[in-house]
Amino acid sequence: MIKKFIHQFASPKTYLKQVDKAYSFIFFTSLSIYLIAIFWGLLLTPEDFVQGHSYRIIYLHVPASFISQSLYLGMAFASAIFLIWKVKLSAYLVRSIAPIGAMTTFIALVSGSIWGIPTWGTWWAWDARIISTLILFIMYLGLISLHDSFTNNEKADKFLAILVLVGSVNIPIIKMSVEWWSTLHQSASITITQKPAIDPSMLYPLFASAIGFTGLVICLVILSSKLHILDRERNKSWVKDYV
Amino acid sequence: MNILYFEFLKLRKKSRGWLGPILVFILIMTAFPLTVEFLNEDLEQAFFSILWIAVLLVMMLATEDIFLEDFNDGSLEQLVIHTESLSFVIGVKILIYWALIGIPVSVIGSIYCLGITSSYEMALLIFPVLLISSYIFLNLFCFGNSLTLTKGSVLGTLITMPLLLPLLVVLGKVVIAINLGLNYFDFLILLLGVLSIIIVTIPLIISFVIRAHLE
Amino acid sequence: MIMTYLIKAENLSYKINEKKLFQNISFEVNANSALHITGSNGSGKTTLLRIILGISKPTRGSIETNLTSDMCYLGHKNALKQYLTVEDNLILQSIQHNKPLDTLLKDIDLYDKLDVVVSNLSFGQQKKIALLKVFLNESELLVLDEPCVGLDGKAQTFLTSFLQEELGKNKSIIFSSHINLNIDAKSINLDN
Repeated sequence: MIKKFIHQFASPKTYLKQVDKAYSFIFFTSLSIYLIAIFWGLLLTPEDFVQGHSYRIIYLHVPASFISQSLYLGMAFASAIFLIWKVKLSAYLVRSIAPIGAMTTFIALVSGSIWGIPTWGTWWAWDARIISTLILFIMYLGLISLHDSFTNNEKADKFLAILVLVGSVNIPIIKMSVEWWSTLHQSASITITQKPAIDPSMLYPLFASAIGFTGLVICLVILSSKLHILDRERNKSWVKDYV
Repeated sequence: MNILYFEFLKLRKKSRGWLGPILVFILIMTAFPLTVEFLNEDLEQAFFSILWIAVLLVMMLATEDIFLEDFNDGSLEQLVIHTESLSFVIGVKILIYWALIGIPVSVIGSIYCLGITSSYEMALLIFPVLLISSYIFLNLFCFGNSLTLTKGSVLGTLITMPLLLPLLVVLGKVVIAINLGLNYFDFLILLLGVLSIIIVTIPLIISFVIRAHLE
Repeated sequence: MIMTYLIKAENLSYKINEKKLFQNISFEVNANSALHITGSNGSGKTTLLRIILGISKPTRGSIETNLTSDMCYLGHKNALKQYLTVEDNLILQSIQHNKPLDTLLKDIDLYDKLDVVVSNLSFGQQKKIALLKVFLNESELLVLDEPCVGLDGKAQTFLTSFLQEELGKNKSIIFSSHINLNIDAKSINLDN
């Protein structure tokens, strides 16, 4: 039954059709959510006791870093599906998510260092979470360059999938780095088990901005995957009808 | 068994394959005190970071053509056809490289450590850490090398470099732990655990990659 | 029903980069028989041999093997270590085989070359060593890709007679060659 489910959605043609239908809805809702969240966060929430106004970059930094790790996990999941069931669509998705992941990691790093100037006094510190996120960024770049260095696309997909899976050991390291090593980074304010350490008035715009940002990134992934699928399948007849 | 002996023979005879990296290691470690003031107090602190980085670089050099040569002259195809368990042969090949390059490098590194810190205890404690970390580096660089087997190996090795950075962080902590006298055995067990996982999984992954390359 | 074939292939097709190389190739190889694969340059002979060996996979079709030992393959690359001597290169085979190496080398006219580093031999001499390596492997099925490249007339006749001998010893051979080897063989042409 799972096989049937997968084969139903595994066709790039069906994927493109579904995604086209959903795109404008996702785009406009997430854009509005994110703008509301930013507006709310920037203007309507109170000042932080310790950090003053500079904490507001949290509305960009936290969603960006959360998304960059989630995108990598998504890539790992898609790579596993590709290697086990040989679904070509997964491979296309992995390759198209990689640049978006690199971009969000870059945003996370840059917004983090902008946040560091008022709070830590420096725009860069060699602490475990920052190093691991930098490693994630370099891994994204490495994945893109690995795939593009092969002329034979099937081999390139396979190797990309393997490298994504091997590199996924980095994700637990990032998540746990705040607990395992004593670092400059603050520990997670929002956990599943405990009461949030962050004030509710700042928490709600944070959630909203996370949802909005996720939606926007999904739109980017959709665009990137459309481009990539059309490029890879360009010899097929349905592409000529579509374009 | 015979294949293992043959692999050993291959590496032993190819002297630039194992002697080269060892000499580079000696060169780096000898040049290091020359670039800082000789009697500096901080020599000892900087020494360990140079040690780990030198081991890293030497392992990268050592694996530069570990599979490329076999791929180019057709021996890799013969291995794929004739052996039931390609991953076992690859694991043994990596073991031989470690035996001929990793162990001498660890010994020399410990001797240098003795020279810089003048403490037998430190050198003895560093030796197993060097052995384990050089083996882990070797495995991961071989994996990276196998990914870009047909294109020239530097890209693949560079790509796996990010995976090694957490290991470098742990190695730094080990040195601090030795200096402060705590937790050394915990770190050793951690490294051994990582090594045991890597020894089993990396040859499997490499054999999969090589079969994909030969298709 | 007793399976008598060593290899059976049905409707093999191979596509590379969306272009068809060959399609619907079927054959059966039994013990004591030879198969000669012909075709123009680029028609896919080497690829078909690699599919038979199991290194590559066909895009369509199936191939079944029924062998008790590994196949022996000699391709375009001769799998000799250039920096080792002839003796070292043949060490695996000489351990399994009872005859000493120098008598075997006498047969192929390279009697005094046991201690010579392989890179100092000519192309044809290296090819002969590679062939010797393959033949010493004692397997049921020999797969040879253009075995006559680089061999002089004397060596070619030696090769032909050796292959006839092997056919007599209950072995099978699959080979691709532009040159006619004067062996009793079924022929498959890939130029369809």
